[in-house]
Amino acid sequence: MSINNDAALRLDDMCKSYGRIRAVDHLSLEVLAGEMAGFLGPNGAGKSTTLYMTSRLVHPTGGEIEIFGRNVWSDFKSAIQYVGTMVETPSFYEYLSARKNLELMGRLRGDVSDSEISENLERIGLSDRQNDKVSTYSHGMKQRLGLGMTLLGRPRLLVLDEPTNGMDPEGTREILSFLQEKVRDEGLTVFISSHLLYEVEEYCDRVFVINHGRLISSGKVQEILAPHENVVLVSFGGKLPDTGALIKEEGIEHIENLPGGVFEITLANRDSAWLNDFLLKRDYKVSSLTPRRKTLKEFFLSITGGKE
Amino acid sequence: MSNMVIPLLRNEIAKAVRTKLPYFGFLVISILCVLIFIVTGSILDSENLNAWGYTSLSMQLIFTDIGLIFIAVFASMLIAEETAFGTARVVLSCPVLRWEFYAAKVLTGLLYAAAMSVISLIVSTCLGSWNYEFGDVADSMGMIYSNKEVLVNFLMAFFLSWIPLAALVMYGIFISTIVRRSGQAVAVTIGTIYLIDFTKHIVGIDSYIFTKYIGFSWQVFNQVTQGVDYQWRPQVWYMIAMSLVYCFVLFAAGLAIFSRRDING
Repeated sequence: MSINNDAALRLDDMCKSYGRIRAVDHLSLEVLAGEMAGFLGPNGAGKSTTLYMTSRLVHPTGGEIEIFGRNVWSDFKSAIQYVGTMVETPSFYEYLSARKNLELMGRLRGDVSDSEISENLERIGLSDRQNDKVSTYSHGMKQRLGLGMTLLGRPRLLVLDEPTNGMDPEGTREILSFLQEKVRDEGLTVFISSHLLYEVEEYCDRVFVINHGRLISSGKVQEILAPHENVVLVSFGGKLPDTGALIKEEGIEHIENLPGGVFEITLANRDSAWLNDFLLKRDYKVSSLTPRRKTLKEFFLSITGGKE
Repeated sequence: MSNMVIPLLRNEIAKAVRTKLPYFGFLVISILCVLIFIVTGSILDSENLNAWGYTSLSMQLIFTDIGLIFIAVFASMLIAEETAFGTARVVLSCPVLRWEFYAAKVLTGLLYAAAMSVISLIVSTCLGSWNYEFGDVADSMGMIYSNKEVLVNFLMAFFLSWIPLAALVMYGIFISTIVRRSGQAVAVTIGTIYLIDFTKHIVGIDSYIFTKYIGFSWQVFNQVTQGVDYQWRPQVWYMIAMSLVYCFVLFAAGLAIFSRRDING
């Protein structure tokens, strides 16, 4: 693999086996500095194991990891100094307050000042509850605090494992937008794992797709995660279509009436522009027409050619 | 990059002062000191018992039973609790090396053992001086050991008693490393200590088990306070050697296991 000096995180031929089970299988990838990269894969694909290896929590069976050009195994402290990591469920000393937790971790990140901790608490929206014990926090608040911990010491790279897991849609959007802003304004690099396609699709620049421990696809999000071309969601402003009549038309393969007055129309060798034209010609008032996003399962089937 | 042992140790102290177990340990040994004080006054020959005698008896009884249990429990929770609750992976995601984390845990365990020892000593000496006198050890024939000689032996007993306690801390932390749940780690530590203690005489390995030496220095000091011939050597060398061997082996084995372990899940 060629060395890219702009790489914030470089994994080269990483392997991890648990007995006869290969969790990560010759995985190589590069996350460029200043980008938000998604790490996508179904549960059990090897995402968390890979992220554990980046912070040396799990010993790889083979391969090399470099963070900003520094080898994680031979130069751990320098490599990890500017990395904020949150792998799986964030953990805390639950009998301590959020502030105390941040103070303890700040001490390990090179004496983070009180004002930085206050700023951090403000940023993650926990300043009002900063002195309450973490054991009294909701799941969403703990996720925020976990993110706050990774931001201590002004990191240049964030490695986050499903940071919005269990959060409500509003909280998810808030956190991901916040990260996107940090990437755009401060040049932070974010490597974020997810099993939710839309998270990666909306917020990441590039995506790495992993399954059975192997990298099966990578590239720009728009290219890799393009929505269906032949499955379209249509909602109508006026009269609703006669699905029985429409299905007989050439070019329409299947119609399904979804909740909320939305129709999912599967096209045969046609695209959404053709459908729009087709409906308008038949005096249907189309209020929205969008190609449907792929589900994770559909996405995997599309890139693995139907093989799980 | 600077060494992280001191920041980690500061964190350990900050956490320990906010948990109940250490204080409960201090409370229990203080109560035990009082109980021993009451019992010694009623069943022993209080005419001839001096403050030194009470203190040595109190220290010996505390650290061959309740004190030992609290130190073992505290030590065996140190790493297992962090592993079970996932905080070990948070700490080790920072610029912290495994040996630094382990060394900070060992120092914390040793500090707790020392604190238990100091507190029981303070309570014992306070109670001792309240009812008895710290003075020469004497009988009807006159002085046997001068107060200065007794004080030297007392200080020797006090500091020497820390060496087998250090081995106990290492043992607890070693179990804490190999057993990932804190409750199970405590059960295994206490269970194996008592199992070995009950069987060591039968099997004939008494001299090779560090727990034998936990009360040794106070036993010798007790002889001083009773005015009988006392002998530190050669047993004290066995105690030091055996305890240090345990300390070294358990530290090295625990650290080796911890360094090679995957901290996930």
